[in-house]
Amino acid sequence: MSDWREQAQQLWERADGLEPGEAKVRLLEEAVRLADAHSDTSMGYMLRDALIDAATFGGFPDKALVAFAWCRGQQKKDPKRFDPEGMLWKQKWVVGRIKEFPHITRKQISDALNDMEQCFAAADAGRRSVLKLRYGAAREMGDTAEAERLWAAWLETPRDHLTDCRACELDDELDHHVDRGEWELALRKARPILEGRQGCAEIPHLTYGTLLYPLFKLDDLKQARELHRRGYPMVAKNREFLATVGEHLEFLALTDNLSRGLTLLEKHLGWALEHPSYRDRFTFYTAAAFLLERVLAEGGRDVVSLRLPKSFPDYRADCGYEVKTLHTWVHGQASDIAARFDRRNGTDRFARLLARNQVLASEVRPFTIDSTQ
Amino acid sequence: MDHRFQVSLRGVIDLLSHHLYSSPGVYVRELLQNATDAIRARQLLEPGHTGTVRLELMEKQDGSPPTLLFSDDGVGLTEEEIHRFLATIGESSKREVLAARRNDFIGQFGIGLLSCFMVCDELLVVTRSARGDGRTLEWRGRHDGTYAVRESEHPLDRPGTQVFLMSRPDTTEWFTPERLRHLARHYGGLLPFPVQLTAGGRTERLNPDGPPWRHEYESVSERRKALLAYGRDVFGTDFIDCIPLRSTAGDVDGVAFVLPASPHFNARQKHRVYLKHMLLSESAENLLPEWAFFVKCVVNANALRPTASRESFYEDESLALAREALGQCLRKYLVELAHEDPRALQRLIALHGLSVKALALDDDDFYRLVVNWLPFETSLGVMTLADYRRAHPVVRYTPTLDGFRQVARVAGAQGLCIINAAYTHDAALLEKLPQVVPDAQVERFSAADLPQSFEELTLDEREAVFPLVRMAERVLAPFRCGVVVKKFFPAEVPTLYSADAEGTFRRDAERARDESDDLYAGVLEGMMAAAGGDQAQLCFNLHNPVVRRLAAVADRELLKLSVEMLYVQALLLGHHPLNAQEMALLNQGLLGLISAQLGDGGGEGNEGGGGSGSRGFH
Repeated sequence: MSDWREQAQQLWERADGLEPGEAKVRLLEEAVRLADAHSDTSMGYMLRDALIDAATFGGFPDKALVAFAWCRGQQKKDPKRFDPEGMLWKQKWVVGRIKEFPHITRKQISDALNDMEQCFAAADAGRRSVLKLRYGAAREMGDTAEAERLWAAWLETPRDHLTDCRACELDDELDHHVDRGEWELALRKARPILEGRQGCAEIPHLTYGTLLYPLFKLDDLKQARELHRRGYPMVAKNREFLATVGEHLEFLALTDNLSRGLTLLEKHLGWALEHPSYRDRFTFYTAAAFLLERVLAEGGRDVVSLRLPKSFPDYRADCGYEVKTLHTWVHGQASDIAARFDRRNGTDRFARLLARNQVLASEVRPFTIDSTQ
Repeated sequence: MDHRFQVSLRGVIDLLSHHLYSSPGVYVRELLQNATDAIRARQLLEPGHTGTVRLELMEKQDGSPPTLLFSDDGVGLTEEEIHRFLATIGESSKREVLAARRNDFIGQFGIGLLSCFMVCDELLVVTRSARGDGRTLEWRGRHDGTYAVRESEHPLDRPGTQVFLMSRPDTTEWFTPERLRHLARHYGGLLPFPVQLTAGGRTERLNPDGPPWRHEYESVSERRKALLAYGRDVFGTDFIDCIPLRSTAGDVDGVAFVLPASPHFNARQKHRVYLKHMLLSESAENLLPEWAFFVKCVVNANALRPTASRESFYEDESLALAREALGQCLRKYLVELAHEDPRALQRLIALHGLSVKALALDDDDFYRLVVNWLPFETSLGVMTLADYRRAHPVVRYTPTLDGFRQVARVAGAQGLCIINAAYTHDAALLEKLPQVVPDAQVERFSAADLPQSFEELTLDEREAVFPLVRMAERVLAPFRCGVVVKKFFPAEVPTLYSADAEGTFRRDAERARDESDDLYAGVLEGMMAAAGGDQAQLCFNLHNPVVRRLAAVADRELLKLSVEMLYVQALLLGHHPLNAQEMALLNQGLLGLISAQLGDGGGEGNEGGGGSGSRGFH
């Protein structure tokens, strides 16, 4: 019965040649099922190791979590055969995103962080990685004071062999400054990334999106436009970047590029409809709601033509959508998700993030994106 | 020597050789660049001036290291310009300065000369400016940083620059005629003025007359032949076709060669690019749109900015526009093929389908043109979309290979044609069809849709299988699996298990939960509780003889056991790994069936109950 092994190997090789994304994840899942069907634990472990990467960088954090949970079980049962140390990097990815599912409780999040801290300590790694994740969790769950404390603790702790690359850490640092409205500081810190001196698989893709609003606030619309033009194509083909697409969408609405914005909306709504990260869905829907508010505010147009996917609940074959109804729907999605997160977190961070749209509405400043010289 | 630079030239040369240059051989490139710049500057002053670059290798009789004389009849340098290039060298310990100065003629001149110190310890530059007072000046510099400038005792009779390089004993390998010929051709092969090499008393011209794609040819086929030969020469590959390239933005022209084999998926091709006819890079990647990975090209650009490392072009507006224009050239080629030689297009699709598909996804007009020629794998064999749509009004596809495997055999047996759209771009291409071709109908298909195409039971049959349905429902409820009975082909297939994407994910999560620790098992429970999706379904096939007999079995225990086994078998046939609960079912079930076969006297474990036709051994 070596036939199935060959088949699994082929699936793996095919996946290997693909860019991150759904196709790659599906191939590896299929290979994993083959290994499971033949109770080959070693093969199942190796393939899941690859699947965690593909799912993490292809926009399927739920699948990364499931694959990791299985591997974690094997590590506990037989740590000699399945060394937990080899998977610490991936544990970091998985634990870092666990807060993005509103159905995971606060206790489970904190247990997962504690578990990770123990694993890292056992491998003689420093605390910097776990502190960054604790900071991220506190920030996302709206524990402002705790986040402040952890921010300082994170950056004081020395780097070690399991710390994220400089570019990733820098990108995460920017969020903190953007939260605090420190636009210039954010830009200054981002310089090594903007000048191309630092980067990795997801940087500068994420950074360009993060800096759109700071640049808008600093009235450097030319550079913002440049980052939009360069950054959007980097994120347009991988649903892992749904939230960053949302940032571009918000920027387009802020600069009154409504037609371009609607094109982004129709193109990426399909991702949002089934995206496992409710956090990313929230960013996208919130930006989409803002965009549609702008279309309504512009007036004179009750219906827009959009090629929305069939999976959209109010899908219309004639492609004509009433702006008001559509707005109600996306806004409803955003506020449902906000309510779920806030209920779980016991804070009002997401309600406040949603309310930010009203501030944005007062800041709109038209600026042309399209240039056809 | 009269002067000394304030910086250690050794340090600068180390910096250059470690960070800027890949090999000492680039000194030839730098000198060619200087000569080219000088000739261009002179052409501006004196339109019609042709310009010539001469390399003269002077080998010594006594076997001591040779000297290379590198000369041009360009614009030459004035005394003031000499001092400016010296200043550049003085500042050259800063990397940023190096990068910035490269873009101006004098700065580049100094940096270019510095590179010569990778292969020699002493340099002599003799120059007469076309703009100056007619004096000939010379600069003699040493690697230790000392130098002298004075009026030359051997005045030049025409403007131009001569550089004498005295080889070091350890670098003579860079001063052989073969090396020089190779290097000068490599970097300056496309220069539009003569580059000559004199060695051993012979003078030869090293470059043809400008880029081969600008030559006039007798006929189209001559042109094609010549360019393909050029492609083979440059890349060592027998290409199948060549495509002219032209962009006003960036002032780019060149030729693209169609690869004879499919490249590794999405592998960005490395192109050979020239900047103002000097080789810039053999591995530029950012020149063509992403979809265009079916060609390798050679281009010259006159108005694109190189990156500091000079390995590719700087990512700016001009490059974006040039990329767009070059993409249009390739698109035009494909469009012409579609109109004039559809068979050639089909061959191209067979070889480079991914490129064609990627372009079709981004470009509606192109999509309309080629979509019908695209081949798809279906449950009834491979066919083009045109053939498919002629026979089947609704296009049905499965987005995953797993999904296709689960339906292909049964669908094929019902005459249902389902496309396997698991290959890259296929699903997206099919989903685009109704947007571009208004009357087209396209549907996603999964195993769950199969029963709709199956034959319904008659009223009598419905009554007859009712006990089986009730029992099966009760048995499978804990597995979140519903039950139907229909009639379908092939008759050998007793049951068909189907689950949607959520259902399949739930099964994966269940297995992970069974294996994991308390912490993650709890997390996964939370995930599963929140997940949606329809329940799975087991469809019994009444055409199957075993299922027919089963419907008539009165023994409830045997019925239960059989249903459980058919369920597990359906899972295994559909490549669904079993969870712990299902594994237990399989193990107990097998024992139960053996026990049933053994009959009452078989032993103490008699859960199976007395089956029909027991042939126990006593």
